[in-house]
Amino acid sequence: MDCQAEVNCGLHLVIQASSLPEKNKVEFKLNKETPSFPGRLLQHDLERNYSSRQGDHINLVSSSMPSFPILQRSSEEKILYSDRLTLERQKLTVCPIIDGEEHLRLLNFQHNFITRIQNISNLQRLIFLDLYDNQIEEISGLSTLRSLRVLLLGKNRIKKISNLENLKSLDVLDLHGNQITKIENVNHLCDLRVLNLARNLLSHVDNLNGLDSLTELNLRHNQITFVRDVDNLPCLQRLFLSFNNISTFESVCCLADATSLSDITFDGNPIAQESWYKHTVLQNMTQLRQLDTKRVTEEERRMASVVAKKEEEKKRESHKQSLLKEKKRLTINNVARKWDLQQHRITNIATNQDRKDSDSQDHCQNDGSTISAFPEETGSLDSGLTSALQGLSVTDTHLVEVDGDTLSLYGSGALECLDRNWSVQTAGMVTTVSFTFIEFDEIVQVLPKLRIKFPNSLHLKFKETNLVTLQQFNALAQLRRVDQLTVDPQGNPVVNFTLWKYYVLFRLSHFNMQKINGTEVTQNDMIMAERLFGILAHVASSELPQYHLISILGDARKKQFRYLLETKGKKPGIVNEENNDSKRLVGESTNRATLNYTTRDFYNEKLEEIKEKKKFCKIYIEDLVKEATEINMKNEALQKLWPQMFIELVRDAVMEIRNKNSYMKLCLQQITDQK
Amino acid sequence: MLSPERLALPDYEYLAQRHVLTYMEDAVCQLLENKEDISQYGIARFFTEYFNSVCQGTHILFREFSFIQATPHNRASFLRAFWRCFRTVGKNGDLLTMREYHCLLQLLCPDFPLELTQKAARIVLMDDAMDCLMSFSDFLFAFQIQFYYSEFLESVAAIYQDLLSGKNPNTVIVPTSSSGQHRQRPTSGEASMLEGVEAPLFYQCLENLCDRHKYSCPPPALVKEVLSNVQRLTFYGFLVALSKHHINQALGALPDKGDLMHDPALDEELERL
Repeated sequence: MDCQAEVNCGLHLVIQASSLPEKNKVEFKLNKETPSFPGRLLQHDLERNYSSRQGDHINLVSSSMPSFPILQRSSEEKILYSDRLTLERQKLTVCPIIDGEEHLRLLNFQHNFITRIQNISNLQRLIFLDLYDNQIEEISGLSTLRSLRVLLLGKNRIKKISNLENLKSLDVLDLHGNQITKIENVNHLCDLRVLNLARNLLSHVDNLNGLDSLTELNLRHNQITFVRDVDNLPCLQRLFLSFNNISTFESVCCLADATSLSDITFDGNPIAQESWYKHTVLQNMTQLRQLDTKRVTEEERRMASVVAKKEEEKKRESHKQSLLKEKKRLTINNVARKWDLQQHRITNIATNQDRKDSDSQDHCQNDGSTISAFPEETGSLDSGLTSALQGLSVTDTHLVEVDGDTLSLYGSGALECLDRNWSVQTAGMVTTVSFTFIEFDEIVQVLPKLRIKFPNSLHLKFKETNLVTLQQFNALAQLRRVDQLTVDPQGNPVVNFTLWKYYVLFRLSHFNMQKINGTEVTQNDMIMAERLFGILAHVASSELPQYHLISILGDARKKQFRYLLETKGKKPGIVNEENNDSKRLVGESTNRATLNYTTRDFYNEKLEEIKEKKKFCKIYIEDLVKEATEINMKNEALQKLWPQMFIELVRDAVMEIRNKNSYMKLCLQQITDQK
Repeated sequence: MLSPERLALPDYEYLAQRHVLTYMEDAVCQLLENKEDISQYGIARFFTEYFNSVCQGTHILFREFSFIQATPHNRASFLRAFWRCFRTVGKNGDLLTMREYHCLLQLLCPDFPLELTQKAARIVLMDDAMDCLMSFSDFLFAFQIQFYYSEFLESVAAIYQDLLSGKNPNTVIVPTSSSGQHRQRPTSGEASMLEGVEAPLFYQCLENLCDRHKYSCPPPALVKEVLSNVQRLTFYGFLVALSKHHINQALGALPDKGDLMHDPALDEELERL
């Protein structure tokens, strides 16, 4: 088959594919009609003009091989450029057979359409082979080129690095712009200085051992997420990792040990967007001279170490805080669980005790693990981080927490904290006190202490405190002042009552509360409260007998009431204006003061004490009654007998006096007898 | 005051009937409790005040339940106090749950037992849906008979159960008499088909109960009136009817339903506050 083509440029290139066995001095010709050799050429290319870089005059002859063109040069050219051959932009689809050029040292096949490296095995002196911008899919056909030093295979379609075994002298290997997914089969290239794998499909970097001379490694524009083995490259100075997928320094941590590295680029990676990028890299790679093509100054290095230290501190601190929080959370959970158990009062407490013990043990172990972490964390607290959050006392069974203006108590054990010595400043700042998982009856007992130790506490919050009756709110009256009250429905059945808010407003009217459960207290609310319970107050104060009044009120009030006593004593039962006014003078609260709350236990204790007295009284009264009835009986008996007795007395007397003379004698006799 | 019947009773019985000893004992007990305070202003005055308050019915305020329950007068006073203190709640129209009423009771008596309130609520709600809301007047009247006649009601409940199960506690087992046995069998049969018991039979048993027992029970005439209106009735039906009937006059503690919300004296006080 004859093919002819004429390319009009400095280069006279004629291709001829011929089946004729004769060696003709023919030019490479392309047949217009039937382009049927194993390459791909477009028809319209045939008309185009190309200029070659080198301006070689080459003649290609038909070969004896069925489909390969043969290349031949004029002898002048052979002498002029005996060691180099340029076949750029020749629309080659195959490597032609190069005859008679065994001295060739440089071969340039740039910008062609070659798909396979072939027909060059005879060029055993080849040092420089350039196959840039072709369509090569596989590295092959190089096994004889033992002298090869520069191999340029950029912009091809190579999927795998292979068949480089014999190229031990390789100095530069350029494989950029291919489809390579893995670095492999390069470990024997101990003279390799430059390796270019940019614009490939690498997802990670490893398997670099053996490249003992590698100075420059270009990995730009890949999909690299981590880098390994770079510390095994003793000569590596420049490493280009721009435009990859590196997001943490840990993924490239081997770079820290790559002591020869002086120049590195990370731009275009996610890591470069991070706030800690620069100083982390500088801190970890002190050997660097240039980062992202900018020189690293001493100042930057110093800043980097300072910032790194600060970061470390912050991390430690936040770790500590999160540990603390976790511990708190666990403790609160534990307290909640104990509370639930307590509330539900499961009947076989014995079996539950075991379970509870094992539970708290588990928790001990849990907390144990977190506690053990703590001692290590006792580092220096950065004074800058004045902890707004102070976990003061954290154990398994209760939790006390002061957070600025809120004191939070979880679990009944927490109430003991009120006995501690609180600094005036801390205690003064506390305006809100929150109780959770504590029985209200227990809280009542510490309210006086609360009043003294936290004088500014104005807002009380109760959650899961077993508030069940309205009476219990009476106990809050002993505080100095309450502005806000929050009773969480959870665990406080009293909130389900329709009247609870009004009762609170009524009983604690002297506090002038602003808010209950977050809603403002309106004038109407106050009026309604008075309307509903005003009479109760009136009855409780004015209709109680005095002694009862006094016994209910404490000593403090007794003096106040002494005055009232005096006036009442003089005018019993008259409630006049004066009294009312005096009541008002003493304070709004006095007429409610009788409404007290004693916890059930105290109450029962009191009743127990009274039992003795009651018994005594009973017996005493019985004795009195017996006496009285006896006396009464005797009286009645006397009443019955008396008339008869009287008559007899009179009769006896009359009978005695009947005879005056004998009576006189008798009397005289009696007188002398007496003497 | 000095009526002949009074003097006819032997001394102990008289004292017991009027519960004089209870008050005496309590007075002395109170005296012992507060001797430091009371000695300040005189024992005579203390006793005056004490018995005055007993007369007025204010002696039961904030006292323990055992004392409040001790005498009928105490009970009536307590009812009256409860009414007076919380009449405003009723006037306001709020409907409250049993627990909330119990709370209000506890404001006046800290250890008032829940069972009594529950029983009172059962009367109002006819033993159904115990979480329902009740009006003040309904609750008050039911509570009245429950509290005042608690022992009586217990016996009535027992009798009712007996009647339901067919046993007639009243039948005297006379072998020859067939009427007694006759009456027994239909009762049991009917009880299983219809609700409640026969009114006349029920009334007979109650009459005997009233005769037999010492503690207070509603006047028999009243009971007869209630039972004469119906053929059959259930236990709670009976109680409801009793509570709504004019039992108030018998007790003398609370005004009638119409007047429940009126109390001019206290309203005046309220205005002043």
